[in-house]
Amino acid sequence: MSSPPRRHGAWRRGLAPYLLSLPAGLWLALLFVVPLLIMLSITLKTCSPASGACVMTWQWGELPHVVNQYRGQFVTSLIFAFVATLLDLVISFPIAYWIAFYGGRRKNFFLIMLLVPFFVSFIIRTLVWEFILSNNGVVLTFLRGNHLVPSGFHVLGTGLAVVAGLAYNYLPFTALPLYVALERIDRRVLNAANDLYATRSVTFVRVILPLAIPGIFAAFLLTFIPAFGDYVNQEILGGTSNTMIGTVIQNLFLIDSDYAGGASLSAVLLVISLLGIWLYARLLGSRTIEDYL
Amino acid sequence: MEPLDNQQNQPDAIDPALWRGMTQRRFTRRQTLSLSGVGLASLILAACGSPSASKSSAKVVGSSSWWQAQKLNHVVNFANWPYYIDLLSGKHPTLEHFTSTTGIKVNYFEVIQDNASFYQKIRPSLAAGQYTGYDIVVMTNNNPQLGYLIELGWLIPLDQSMMTNYDKYAGPLIKSPTWDPGNKYTMAWQSGWTAVGYNNQQVKDPGTSIEILFDKKYAGKVGMLSDPFELGSIGLLAVGVEPAASTESDWAKAAKKLKQQKSDGIVAAYYDQSYIQHLKNGDITVSMCYSGDIFQADLNNKYKDLTLLLPEEGAMLWTDNMCIPKYSQNPLDAMTLMDYFYDPEVQSVVEYYNDYICPVPAAKQQLLNPTGWNKAALASMNSSVGLPTAVTADSTIVFPSPERIKASKSYYNFKSQAEIDAWNNMFLPIIQGA
Repeated sequence: MSSPPRRHGAWRRGLAPYLLSLPAGLWLALLFVVPLLIMLSITLKTCSPASGACVMTWQWGELPHVVNQYRGQFVTSLIFAFVATLLDLVISFPIAYWIAFYGGRRKNFFLIMLLVPFFVSFIIRTLVWEFILSNNGVVLTFLRGNHLVPSGFHVLGTGLAVVAGLAYNYLPFTALPLYVALERIDRRVLNAANDLYATRSVTFVRVILPLAIPGIFAAFLLTFIPAFGDYVNQEILGGTSNTMIGTVIQNLFLIDSDYAGGASLSAVLLVISLLGIWLYARLLGSRTIEDYL
Repeated sequence: MEPLDNQQNQPDAIDPALWRGMTQRRFTRRQTLSLSGVGLASLILAACGSPSASKSSAKVVGSSSWWQAQKLNHVVNFANWPYYIDLLSGKHPTLEHFTSTTGIKVNYFEVIQDNASFYQKIRPSLAAGQYTGYDIVVMTNNNPQLGYLIELGWLIPLDQSMMTNYDKYAGPLIKSPTWDPGNKYTMAWQSGWTAVGYNNQQVKDPGTSIEILFDKKYAGKVGMLSDPFELGSIGLLAVGVEPAASTESDWAKAAKKLKQQKSDGIVAAYYDQSYIQHLKNGDITVSMCYSGDIFQADLNNKYKDLTLLLPEEGAMLWTDNMCIPKYSQNPLDAMTLMDYFYDPEVQSVVEYYNDYICPVPAAKQQLLNPTGWNKAALASMNSSVGLPTAVTADSTIVFPSPERIKASKSYYNFKSQAEIDAWNNMFLPIIQGA
């Protein structure tokens, strides 16, 4: 009639992991999976711009239509995000390297110095750049006054300004994972390389760099994905020929009330981002990613 | 079924015209109602309230008996656009005077940056049958949102008996306008022109034509507005078409011209209200602009360089309208405040600050010879405004001359959602294009 106590315990033990993950699982399901499904379902609905009411019409045409219509903006976003991420890697690698290997007791201080500017709101920092780079702003007035640039030279409204804004705003997302990766390298491995007559540059290329690869990849993803969907930098610093897909999505939702179009573009954006994460997991294993998040 | 059938006569029922064109599928009335929050909400209301509704018409929002049943709550929440009301050391003299004479406290919110996004903010509340938090909102006639609010029954019809100042002092320009015949739902706040502004230090020969916006001389230095209805209308003027009488093929012509302007690298960017900052910063030298912005900037000695050009092809005349969104909690207080602004004494103080087209012609005399409380208010504002009241009074931008009115153009009046979609399909890709 009653099951033996041992089996009962085993059953309980088997259930424990599921029970323990239940709160997190519910959280994820309710606040992530359900909204995601709602967003995906909107791509198939028709919404009234006036009342905002949506009705399921199973129209599959919206997704290919908007993707085709805004192909150019997708390409622009990919290029801008990619260039900005590369810039960030090039800029932050030496910083992270220096802090990790030569920071000594003051490592935390240097890290905080790196992060302090980013305590100020994202939007405010970008607006300040707009102010600094404006045609009658400090920088351009000085450059023009000293004939260092032609009189018609301007920065705002160009793709360059957008890429620079992206690179600036996402720098910590690159620097921190790189720092973590470099910091974790066992110093004894470097001593071993030294003992085996490796020069400093050989040690860097054949020991440090390979060990830092997961960090570089994590840094790449953490920078590239938000930069790809960013709209603030383009809105504030960009012009007419460099609209990014994030701006389009924002306009479709907030100005044009084209919910189906906005949801379709968001879905495509999500798929591209997931592809990146999948690639990371395949190449470097899924275990390392949480170390950097 | 009873409440559903009643629904047809309710002002809440959605005009099927709004649904037309947004989908190929046909909707039955029942579907349409069940789909929209309004339909649902009013269905429930109708179901609950039908016995009493049949007894008295007091339930019909905006009817005279409904208005009679309203009481003053001595508070009103007013949502308006930024820099649009008299300001003196952080306070608004007209609102202070209103509170001191009526005992109604005004919470003034400068929250409207553009029609579309503000509409998106208040729509969920309206669709759910809830108070939006505002008793007065100010919407422009050149965007579809004001039409949506009227069509969906989301505005409370005004109490015509409380519009004493309005009836007496409202100018012909804004009285009983085409977008709201008989002022059933709206009273103008201010009007203005969408025209051309330029930096007179960098532009020596502006000419008189709208072509200045398309001049390759200013490549990369021209600002255009990102509002598709503004952009399209200016495009129509540039190809020599009256926007109000335009057809879809005219829109295509205008779009072609604007596309060319963009691909020639003439346009620096498509701006929202921020264009004025870029014009001041020198990022652009010529721009589409709102008349009052340039006039305000011009008064400030620092920006004497900015000049307003009302082109010979015409300038677009728009009007911002005060209206009371449905489910307002303080409609009587709102009505009182709206009519208060049509007192010429009050309007003279508003106008001294904001320099758009005044809805009350009699305010001109009040600026020249103030007769009431406004005398002290105008005098105290003098140093911060920085010019004599006579300058405002004599400005043909604030009190337009008949020629100015004649040269003003009206926006195209959309007849269906399909037309709005067609317009957007022409002009949005230009603004949002890669």
